[in-house]
Amino acid sequence: MIRIIAAFGLCALSLIPMVWMVATSFKPPAEYVSTSIALWPQDPTLAHYRVLLDGGMWRLGLNSIVVALGTVSLALLAGLPAAYALARFELPRRFDIVFLGFVLVIKLAPPIALAIPLYQVLRALGLLDTHLGLILANQILALPFAIWMLLGFVRDVPYSFEEAAMLDGAGFVKRLVEIVVPLLMPGLVATAVFVAIMSWNEFLFALLFIQTPSKFTLPAFIATLINEDETLWGKLSAMGLIASLPVLLAVGLVRRGLTREVSVDQH
Amino acid sequence: MTASRRLLPWLLLTPALLIFAGLTLYPLGRTLALSLFATDYGFENAKFVGLENFRELWDSRFFRQAVTNTVLFTVVSTVLEVAAGLGLALLLDRAFPGRTLVMTLLLAPFVLSTMVVTAIWRAWFHFDLGFLNNLLRAIGLPGVPWLFDPNLALWSIVLVDVWQTAPFAFLIIFAGLRLIPQDVYEAARVDGAGPWRRFRDMTLPLLAPYLFVAALLRSVDSFKLFDKVYAMTGGGPGQATETVSMFVYRQGFRFFDIGLASAAAVVMIAVAGLLAVVYAASLLKGAGR
Repeated sequence: MIRIIAAFGLCALSLIPMVWMVATSFKPPAEYVSTSIALWPQDPTLAHYRVLLDGGMWRLGLNSIVVALGTVSLALLAGLPAAYALARFELPRRFDIVFLGFVLVIKLAPPIALAIPLYQVLRALGLLDTHLGLILANQILALPFAIWMLLGFVRDVPYSFEEAAMLDGAGFVKRLVEIVVPLLMPGLVATAVFVAIMSWNEFLFALLFIQTPSKFTLPAFIATLINEDETLWGKLSAMGLIASLPVLLAVGLVRRGLTREVSVDQH
Repeated sequence: MTASRRLLPWLLLTPALLIFAGLTLYPLGRTLALSLFATDYGFENAKFVGLENFRELWDSRFFRQAVTNTVLFTVVSTVLEVAAGLGLALLLDRAFPGRTLVMTLLLAPFVLSTMVVTAIWRAWFHFDLGFLNNLLRAIGLPGVPWLFDPNLALWSIVLVDVWQTAPFAFLIIFAGLRLIPQDVYEAARVDGAGPWRRFRDMTLPLLAPYLFVAALLRSVDSFKLFDKVYAMTGGGPGQATETVSMFVYRQGFRFFDIGLASAAAVVMIAVAGLLAVVYAASLLKGAGR
């Protein structure tokens, strides 16, 4: 019994910062620029949301969506064939181990450490300050992640299904499209959701490679809001809530995949 | 085996290889190369100086401070996060009504954008009007200068990091806890082992690989610390919360000392590479079990 109370208590405690954000987004300034500890708004207002929407905030949301969709598509298009090749083929000279090791280093490497030459690459390609450039840069984070995650899922698809199809004369592409991809669907969805969250929350590359404010993603915009005014908390909270709703909805969706990804070492 | 079958895996790997070649391998080599050059404001007029940049780093008080802060932050936040994750995992190990709900809600801070997290906590840390100091004053205690005190600022950021990422450590440790067979406990109980002894002599050793992975992944991530510092303190007060990532950012993208920034980046990559080797070894060991 004590256990249950403790569990719910801790859970409630860890949620207070988010409750504060939700509540503050509906408070008039007088209620949060104050020393009151009241969490809930006395006189709720939608003013902060109105300011954001009138200020063209939806554009930034759209930017984040475009970048997330692009990042997911590219990571899956490049990551699935790579994971399949690594799982199914014998590669010479243990190339697979070398490749996976390299992918692991990239996955663990601090993104800032590659940022300077990456800036030069994007400038040379004329992709600085474009969403396509940001999508490419995001692959540094997304592709290693997608390859490692998909590798586990591909290995779980029994090869015998493919062998049976091969006996029926199905070519490689047909096998991939008609057998592997459908069986992989849960894994693909989980990977896509993860990469989307990663891209949605990504800040560093957006800060470094996007300069025009109208092209900002949500985290980059929030960073400017944070520094704009020390106590702009109503607008900031409204912005934070809008930026968080999609990922919070996704949590329920990926909770199982999450447990799965972090326990890679059992496979 | 036909030629086309031999070529197929390479064809499948091509898109990923192209992306890695252009966006990681080339930048990696370029960072190594740039770290050996003195660059005068930008990329032009680079002059080869050997290891001079590394000596400058070694002598730099700012870099040393950044390294000290990063190591302190990494060690303390990792230990706290793994401890909190272990506590939560043990707490939630036995099923009770509402457990799935509690677990889902506990995960929420982990998936929030770090910038949203920073926005909330920077407001909470505000000295005059922040929620934390309002609470303290309401019970008659003085306000705490969370981000103004150079001796406290780093620990305030640790607090935020623990709040945000302890759920991640919890996930890994919980997964490990689920895999301990219950009959092990039954046997111990029959032998008369109390709860503390069962925890110390059975749960902890069996859980050790998971605690290790959780600690490793958390320290890799903490080592990169940038977003929170950038938007919460900007590295201040003074140099109190400067990190290695912030140092690279500042040198490379603010002062345009590309050579020095690249040298610091090389140091970061070396540490990440080392951690990757440790991680890979633990994965391989896990696979051989």
